[in-house]
Amino acid sequence: MAISLEYVVKETSGNLWRNRLMSLAAVLTISVSLALAGASLLLKQGVSTATSQWKGGVQLLIFMQPTATNAQTSTVERQLKSLPEIKSYYYMDQAKSYQEFKQLMANSPDLLQSVTESQIPPSFRVVLKNPSAAPSVGSLFQQQAGVKDVNFNRGAINTMLHVTSIAQFVIVGLAAILLISASVLILNVIRVAIFSRRREVAVMKLVGATNWFIRVPFMLEGMVQGLVGSIVAAGAVVGIQALFQYVIQHFNVTILSNFLVSSHDVLMTELFVVAMGIIVGTAGSAFAVRRYLEV
Amino acid sequence: MIKVDRVYKRYKENQYALSDCSLEIDRGEFVFVVGASGSGKSTLLRLLLREERPDSGEVWVAGKELSAMPGWKVPFFRRNIGSIFQDFRLLPNKTVFDNVGFALEVIGKSKRHITTQVPQMLELVGLHDKQERFPDELSGGEQQRVAIARAFINKPLILLADEPTGNLDPENSWSVMGLLERINRTGTTVLMATHDVGIVDSMRRRVIELENGQIKRDQTRGVYGLGQTST
Ligand SMILES: Nc1ncnc2c1ncn2[C@@H]1O[C@H](COP(=O)(O)OP(=O)(O)OP(=O)(O)O)[C@@H](O)[C@H]1O
Ligand SMILES: [Mg+2]
Repeated sequence: MAISLEYVVKETSGNLWRNRLMSLAAVLTISVSLALAGASLLLKQGVSTATSQWKGGVQLLIFMQPTATNAQTSTVERQLKSLPEIKSYYYMDQAKSYQEFKQLMANSPDLLQSVTESQIPPSFRVVLKNPSAAPSVGSLFQQQAGVKDVNFNRGAINTMLHVTSIAQFVIVGLAAILLISASVLILNVIRVAIFSRRREVAVMKLVGATNWFIRVPFMLEGMVQGLVGSIVAAGAVVGIQALFQYVIQHFNVTILSNFLVSSHDVLMTELFVVAMGIIVGTAGSAFAVRRYLEV
Repeated sequence: MIKVDRVYKRYKENQYALSDCSLEIDRGEFVFVVGASGSGKSTLLRLLLREERPDSGEVWVAGKELSAMPGWKVPFFRRNIGSIFQDFRLLPNKTVFDNVGFALEVIGKSKRHITTQVPQMLELVGLHDKQERFPDELSGGEQQRVAIARAFINKPLILLADEPTGNLDPENSWSVMGLLERINRTGTTVLMATHDVGIVDSMRRRVIELENGQIKRDQTRGVYGLGQTST
């Protein structure tokens, strides 16, 4: 059976307007919770890109010259093997390093174009038994033939990873609580809508309106609330992300200089936010319809 | 058209609203259901509209057995049944026209269909000049006529009326009965629960009397109560 679009639009917007204050509350709660969730996702992405070279507890990076010979590379490797301070290490060749570089520079196509794989320095990523030994071990390699540069993690990166993972935990928890309250709010809005229209619903049943015909406007009402809330949230996420990039560049936060979210990440996050909004809205209203609309 | 076969229905343990109730009504009949308050008249009508299901027994309406009918088919079944009630059940925030049109709108009929059908129907019940009024601007009798227009607009096979004159003065009651008779003459089966002695006695139609959920009397060209009107 065809449900006329005009009817559905009329009923849904009528319901929304009648319950505008409660609808607004639901929409705002969804916006806030999804903005938090989205921003926290982007933070995770950004930090993970910024620290990708330090993944797995790496505390020391030894960059080789792109032109380093095999002999020079294996000399460094032999030395790494023999040093007692070293717990483990791995070698990133040019191909892998180039992949990583591409990810890091995803938002700078110009730069990507101008750099070829042969210009990328390969590197050794070293995990030490005692992180405080990083400077002394690093200095051993500084002057070595074929070595371009030595970087070590001064603990700041670990701290950052730690802080962001806690922050993320808190933000996601908060967002989840807010999302649950949002769906309860929506459930309540729909319940009120159903209650205020119980006479209509009774007449509809009497004259043979199908169950879906009766349900759809109520379901749609929740979905629209979720959608509107998530669109606001999506806008907020873009805003937060732009602000963050601006702060990093403007104030030269070096440790986060690699903090970067690709436009692909942003797009995926926005899609996630909108999908969550629709799901939460529809779930809330579906529950209300099941529970309170006896059809 | 309607067949009720050994139907039992109870709302509470050990308290039957209908027990061992069987009856048959043919196409085009006009039947009164009478009986004391609580004797099961409304329950019978609710079963025929499939607002309730029997605990046991079969209910056949318009060729369909209702107790086995899956829920999603019920709306389509109800489109063949018109129903009116003592309390009219009109929507207070809709005009007379929209109240009647609503019945067509919610079963997916086109705007054009509605704008042609509704005025015709209101003409039939004598309310064509009050299309834009709201229910609370009408008398009880007029409101019931709006409800009849809404019930009959789909040309149902059966019209179920639960005390349609219960809230009306005699004059309005008679105008409602006149309409029901006209509807019955178009071939629609009418089943009406009522306490209205005067109407039942003067119309001389089939009368089914319920007592404690059982059929006590089923009489063609009957009267309200056997004792009072033997003359
Ligand atoms: N929804 C319900 N829940 C519990 N019991 C009910 C319900 N509806 C009806 N009953 C009981 O079932 C019995 C029959 O009620 P019903 O409404 O069919 O009577 P009736 O003949 O229509 O009465 P009246 O003339 O007062 O309208 C009564 O004992 C009533 O209390
Ligand atoms: Mg009754």
